[in-house]
Formats: sequence, C-alpha cells, structure tokens
Amino acid sequence: MHKNGHDAASVVRDTIYRATMALDDQKWEDWLDLCDENFHYKITAFSPEINKDMIYLQGQRKEVETLVRLLPKHNTDHSPLRRHTSVYTVDVADDMSTASAVSSFVIYQNMLDGVNSHLDSGESRLFLIGKYHDTFKLEDGKAKFVKREVRLDNRRLDKGSHWPL
Amino acid sequence: MPARNHSQWLAKPKLEGGEWIDSRVYSDQNVFDDEMERIFKKVWIPVCHESELPKPYDFRTTSIAGEPIIIARGPDNEVRAFLNVCPHRGMLLERRPSGSFLEGQPSGNPKRITCMFHAWQFDMKGSCVYVAREKEGYQDRLCKEDVGLRRLRCEVKFGGFVWVSLDDNPKISLEDWAGEPFDCLRKSIDAEPLEVFHYHKAIIDTNYKLWHDTNSEFYHDFMHYHNRVTGFNDAYFARKNFAFKHGHVVVGTFEVNYENYEGFESRGALSFPHLPPNQWYMVDLFPGMNFNLRGSALRCDVVTPLGPDKVMIEFRGLGLKRDTPEERETRINHHNSIWGPFGRNLHEDLIGVAGQGTTMRPHTEPRQILHGRHENQTIHDEIGMRHYYDEWGRWMDRLPNDPDQPWHERNPGESAEAAE
Ligand code: FES
Ligand SMILES: [Fe+2]
Repeated sequence: MHKNGHDAASVVRDTIYRATMALDDQKWEDWLDLCDENFHYKITAFSPEINKDMIYLQGQRKEVETLVRLLPKHNTDHSPLRRHTSVYTVDVADDMSTASAVSSFVIYQNMLDGVNSHLDSGESRLFLIGKYHDTFKLEDGKAKFVKREVRLDNRRLDKGSHWPL
Repeated sequence: MPARNHSQWLAKPKLEGGEWIDSRVYSDQNVFDDEMERIFKKVWIPVCHESELPKPYDFRTTSIAGEPIIIARGPDNEVRAFLNVCPHRGMLLERRPSGSFLEGQPSGNPKRITCMFHAWQFDMKGSCVYVAREKEGYQDRLCKEDVGLRRLRCEVKFGGFVWVSLDDNPKISLEDWAGEPFDCLRKSIDAEPLEVFHYHKAIIDTNYKLWHDTNSEFYHDFMHYHNRVTGFNDAYFARKNFAFKHGHVVVGTFEVNYENYEGFESRGALSFPHLPPNQWYMVDLFPGMNFNLRGSALRCDVVTPLGPDKVMIEFRGLGLKRDTPEERETRINHHNSIWGPFGRNLHEDLIGVAGQGTTMRPHTEPRQILHGRHENQTIHDEIGMRHYYDEWGRWMDRLPNDPDQPWHERNPGESAEAAE
C-alpha cells in the first residue's frame, strides 16, 4: 500500500478505537465529535426466525444528538456497557477521500443493577456481539464517521438499551 | 402512615376483595404448574404470523406450555400445526426456528418433514409416508398409517396471526374467544395482508402476568417520559378501558401528539386502513397476549412462561404487505422509536417488570399487590387487571388474593371455569 494509504488506514483504526472509548465512557459528545455532519447511525440484525433483515434503530446525526440529550429524562438500566472492538479490515479509496472498515465487537454489561444488585453488581455479562460496518470521510489527516451500521447477531435482547452501542 | 411494622405490613389493605391480590400468584411453583395445565394448554395462542411462512413447505417452530410445535404451510397453502415430536422415539422433528421443507435433509427427501434419527418421514398434513425398513421391523404389526404426527388445532385469523390450541376440543371457538375485543381493530388489520418486519425476544426474570399487567395498565405512564409529553391531555385521561368476556381488555383510542417528543413525527400519513390519523388502540388478551396499534405500526407481544419467575416475551412489529420500501422504512422507524429494543419505552417497561420479579422470587414473603384504582374506567383505572384476575381465579379455581383457597366456594352458583 501507498505510504499515505497506510497512514490513512491507521487514522481510521485510531478513530474506531477512540469511538469505542468514548462510547464506553458515555461521553456522547466526544463520540459525536468523531462523526461527520451527515453521520447516519443504524442498528440492524438478520432474523432467521422471520427470515428478514431488520432495522432495530436508525437516525441521522441530529436524531442521535436528540436521543443522547434526552437520555437523562428516561429511566435506564445503570450497568455500563464495555465494548471490545477489533478492527478487521480497512479499505481506503484510491482518491484517499473516503474509507470503509469492518470491525468485530463484543459488548459486555458490567452489572450495576442486574436483577438484584446485591448479588449481581460487579459481575460482567455478555450483552451483545456483532460487527461494525463503518464508512469514513478523510480530510486534513482526520477520519470522520459518515455511517455506522451496528450489525448485531443477537435477536434475544432482554432488557435492551437506551444507549448507542 | 409512617413506615409499618411487620404485622401492619401484612395486614389486609382497606380495599375490597378484587382490588388487591396475593403475590404468591406471581411466585408460587404450584400456581405456575396449574397455570400450564389449566390455562396454557387450553387457550388459543398466536404463535407466529402467516407472513413468516409465506410459501408452500415453509415452516416455523414454537412451543406452548413446554410442548414443541411445528407450523407448516402445505402445497395446498393451508397452514397446519403439529407437535414437533417424532412418534417413533420422541426426537424433536425440526430443530431450526424456520426454514423450508422443500430442501432435502441429510436423512430425508425434499417436501418431507424428516426425523433425522431413524429417517421416518411425514408430509405437510402430518401423515407418515415413510418408515425405514418398515416390513422388516414391524412385519404386519405396525405400519406407517398408524404413526401420523399429532395434529393441533390451528387457525389463521385476526390480521393473519397463526393461532394454535393444544386442546383438541377447545370449549370456545377462536371467533368467540377473541372476536369481540378485536372488533375495534378488525377493519384495520383485516383490510389487506400484513407482514412482519420486526422480531426480537426477551427472557426476563419475572412472572408472565406482570408483563401482561404492564400492558393492561397505563398508570405506569409516569415512568415513560415519552408518554408524558405525547399523551397527557384531557382526551388522554378520558381514554376508556373496556372489559370483555374471557378476561380480555381493550384500551380505547385517542389522538397521540407525537410531535411533542422532540425529533418524533406524526404518523398520520401511514395510518393502517380505516384508522383515523395517530389513533392508538390496544387489545390485551387473556392470558398474556397484546396487540397494540399505534397508527402506522402494529405490535404484538406473546408470552411464553418458563417458570414462576421467568418468562420469554416475543415482540413482533407489522406493516402492510404492499408497503413500498420507503413506507416500510418509515413504519419501522415509528415502531422502533418507542417499541424497539433500543426504543424509548420498551427498555423502561422491561426494567419495571424485572424489578417486580426481583421482589417476588419464589419463597419470598407473600404480600399484597394493589389493583384498586377506580377512575371511571379511564386510562389510569386499574380495571384491566381486576378483570383479568377475576377470570384467572375461575380458570385456576384459586382466589387471587388467597391462592390456596378455591374460587368456587366463594363464588357459589358461578361456574369455576369461565370457558364453560
Ligand atoms: S426417533 Fe424419529 S425416526 Fe426414530
Ligand atoms: Fe409501558
């Protein structure tokens, strides 16, 4: 790969990992700072039960901003989510203006509430698994998320979540 | 009253008999076992939607009261239900949640339900069509005509849902069972074919009735920011609960102001047929099914009780089969905004019932659960639950506020089983 292409790929990788940390820490604004004005977010899954590709949540940047801003108004499970992300592939476009990446993720719920916090708090449970399919805009040595599809393998979602994944 | 001591805590509340129930109804293993036998093995359950098996030879698997079930569409387009149990030595016939019998399997032929164990094969009507080395093993003592599958009562009805009863001779026809509560929705959901676009499930450590209670009472609006800002107005508080025979309840409609939740939009443009814009109907069927039509999307919850303190809830979302891709996407967005696993309300509802489940584990001290709000049968009146437990008492022959006592002794002259 061209030296610059190599650099661009590591910028993309770095951005994905920074997003993981911001999401883990519920620093929604830091996360959105990594996203373009035209960012589109989507949680999807395929259901073999009904044999359909499904969308579980989607929105443009403005909708995601509203969603995270209104979070304090909602009752939410308090157990923080901890993501383990591995970037598998990064493909930088020939003109170096865009890139796409596929990462695998595992999300653990680090129990605070649990079913009975007296028993469950402090334990970590597997929450969700899947892949991030990300598209980036490359500009001034930076990568900005233009699209993130969170493709889940789960259809059993128990209590679900109010938070972006 | 200040905080109460133990005997004050256990004292009967100053409410009428039907206005509170005993928490053992939610926590006792014997009560649960009786519910499986006396209720779940007798009633009609909507196990899936016909659009989940659109083509001949498509199948779905499910279960009721622990009994595994196959739903299959025949070449004649009929949807039939069978126990998912091989008559030979009890192997589960089909292990996948869905698929098509058009494909052959390693042990058997296309167009057959094949048991992988010893290769017995069945057709879409449940007849046994092949027993491996039949003559050699059974001579003339047993033949394939003797070993058909166990067929189950099955009807496609009320918006295309597939209803199954484990009872060969249900005391009530499906029409008589649910026709009246569905009256308010029938024109909308039967005008044209519907299609499932959403499926997910939750397994929650709580009693199945606590989930149904939540679907039957709106007083818990206070935990939903969304409902407070889009709902609370005079028309909302005038919304009526209607009780129907067999323990069902319908919550009457009103116009929801979705725009009052920032970022949400009116659903008027995509209303279901014959439904005025942004109306919201809810049908709660005994013993634990819910149909919820919010203008542009229909939601259906079905409970599968797994124990006194465990329930699986399956969530489906439906639109019109003829939707354009754009229309469908809008319906899906409307559905997900509140009801999806990452939506605003469902998460809160599930946290609520999980919390109740925590305080009502088997062997926790029995206590009273209050169902005593009377508000002229309007939205925050707890009539839905009172009506449900009245029916529950009959089916179970147990008093909801004293579940070790038989219902019929306190209600002489009335038949213990409402079904009769
Ligand atoms: S158990 Fe099914 S063929 Fe033997
Ligand atoms: Fe709710």
